[in-house]
Amino acid sequence: MSARLPDVTVVVPVVERPGPLDKLYEEFSAPLAQAGYAYEFLFIAYPWFRHLTDALGPLRTRGEPVRLIEVGQGVGETTLLKIAAANCRSRVLVTLPAYLQTEAAVLPELVRRVQAGADLAVACRHPRVDSIVNRIQNRVLHLFVGRLAGGRLHDVACGVRAMRTELVSEIPLYGDFARFLPLLALREGQAVEEVKAEVHRGAMRGRIYSPGTYLRRLIDVLGLFFLLKFTDKPLRFFGLIGTAVAGVGMLIMVNLLIERLQGRGLADRPALLLGVLLVTLGVQSIALGLIGEMIVHLSAPHSRRYRLRRASPPARTDAA
Amino acid sequence: MLVRPALSVVVPLYNEEDNVRPLVEAVREALGEAPPWELVLVDDGSRDRTAQVAAEVGRGDERIRLVQLARNYGQTQAMQAGFDAARGRIVVSMDGDLQNDPHDIPALVAKLEEGYDLVAGYRLRRRDKLLTRKLPSWVANRIIRAVTGVPIRDNGCSLKAYRRETLDRLHLYSDMHRFLPALAAATAAARIAELPVRHHPRRFGRSKYGLSRIVKILADILTLTMISWFRERPIVMFGIGAAGALALALGFAGAALLGITRVREEMANAYVFPAAALLWLMLACYLLMLGLVAEVAVWKDREREAPLPLAVERSP
Repeated sequence: MSARLPDVTVVVPVVERPGPLDKLYEEFSAPLAQAGYAYEFLFIAYPWFRHLTDALGPLRTRGEPVRLIEVGQGVGETTLLKIAAANCRSRVLVTLPAYLQTEAAVLPELVRRVQAGADLAVACRHPRVDSIVNRIQNRVLHLFVGRLAGGRLHDVACGVRAMRTELVSEIPLYGDFARFLPLLALREGQAVEEVKAEVHRGAMRGRIYSPGTYLRRLIDVLGLFFLLKFTDKPLRFFGLIGTAVAGVGMLIMVNLLIERLQGRGLADRPALLLGVLLVTLGVQSIALGLIGEMIVHLSAPHSRRYRLRRASPPARTDAA
Repeated sequence: MLVRPALSVVVPLYNEEDNVRPLVEAVREALGEAPPWELVLVDDGSRDRTAQVAAEVGRGDERIRLVQLARNYGQTQAMQAGFDAARGRIVVSMDGDLQNDPHDIPALVAKLEEGYDLVAGYRLRRRDKLLTRKLPSWVANRIIRAVTGVPIRDNGCSLKAYRRETLDRLHLYSDMHRFLPALAAATAAARIAELPVRHHPRRFGRSKYGLSRIVKILADILTLTMISWFRERPIVMFGIGAAGALALALGFAGAALLGITRVREEMANAYVFPAAALLWLMLACYLLMLGLVAEVAVWKDREREAPLPLAVERSP
């Protein structure tokens, strides 16, 4: 146990496509050591990766600052991050995916940015080397992210990030939203900076995932888009959809009614069903929006909806 | 010695760098020395120099306080942040664009002292554009008055005075600052009075409103209706909807029956009538179930400890 507390804790969630961990440690700790930071590596792993985490034992006996936390299954990315923050002994926390994303050289710069006052510094892979499918999905992803972030984020999915340790508890995170941490941080008014980084030489270039993965990501983004824009006002979303759908249904029915008054019978008009269906659908949407509004209204006394950058201290305390 | 101000003036500011200084001067001049007051300037993530100017103007005067939000949250949250920071027994809210006149504050406070929980100013001669500002606002106020039953002429005027207890029972979210009096009446049973106030044309800066908000306001009014009428028993509202759907279902079922019983021969083989009846029936069931879900939400909420609505005993 060294007497000095670390400046930086590098958190490595060993959950997805991990490679040899001792190599990872050696490669990514070198630039930090060179820059003069006191660092500590915190590996968080599922127990079935013991064949990989066993490699950390020799490092530990050599006196390298390596810690290992094991968690059971069913713990998602977000919870892993929270566990890491709870066990972190330094002011700055760096997340590093166990698979290789960027070159190690970017780490000291990320840490420096956070120490200089940024709340979160994210690596941005540039130039992007990846398969065409992944590049297309990345473009689509950032169509939404770009709108939400006001064009300030270019690689939201990159897992190499440095942040103030408290940031993790300041942002309402759940589910898979740790992936979108930079976006959520921006929304909370945190200072987020991007640092350009080269894609790692050994990164699995051109890897293509299963269609299910892409679908899940798309749903994630759409869900996030909805949550960020409409959590406080669900009726604006459901009400707009509902009014549009019910409006079309009404038009159809009014049209049918006019023709009925002119003597054309309704018995053989399937359009009547379409009209009724659309109106009922629209009403359902509006009703759901009202339920949403009700939940928001009832939870209002218990939720904080703004974050202060600073407040001048109350009168008399600063005069003294 | 810690003097707790008797009166807090809360002003949300968004990109009002030219207005801050005259605003602070006007408040100083209007309120004078006593009773002890404070001015809470809330910078809602302005992109211009609003915060710097506010800090400069307030330097050396501990009555001027600055609360800076981390980003632009919108007027409602800015106002809530100001209310949370205010320490006065009486709180006055005001726009930061100098269209309200701080000289009206003493009158509002005096009215509040007569025994009200909220005094809303209304703009006697409003100095804004007719088509884009005054007309929509007139329509909106009429609708709000009709649906909430709270007789407020001008919901859009920011110049209002509140008792601390009123604010403690109000929780602003979304864009609800526009409906503050109605919300206060509906959720806190606030006693509300109105007072005419002066209104000046905008001198510096740009108005931050546009016509696009009409759609939003309509959605908000629907929400407000639900809150003020059906807060305690939401199933009543959904039940009314379900009854309407059921009536339509019965109508179409009647048409179907006419065909089945061969009363109207030409409708004998029409599938659309029974199908439409079933669709309406489905909607009725769906609305009833949603009503039950809403009841569960309200029930769960009532299990928490919450302050009672405002109620004051006074000598008649």
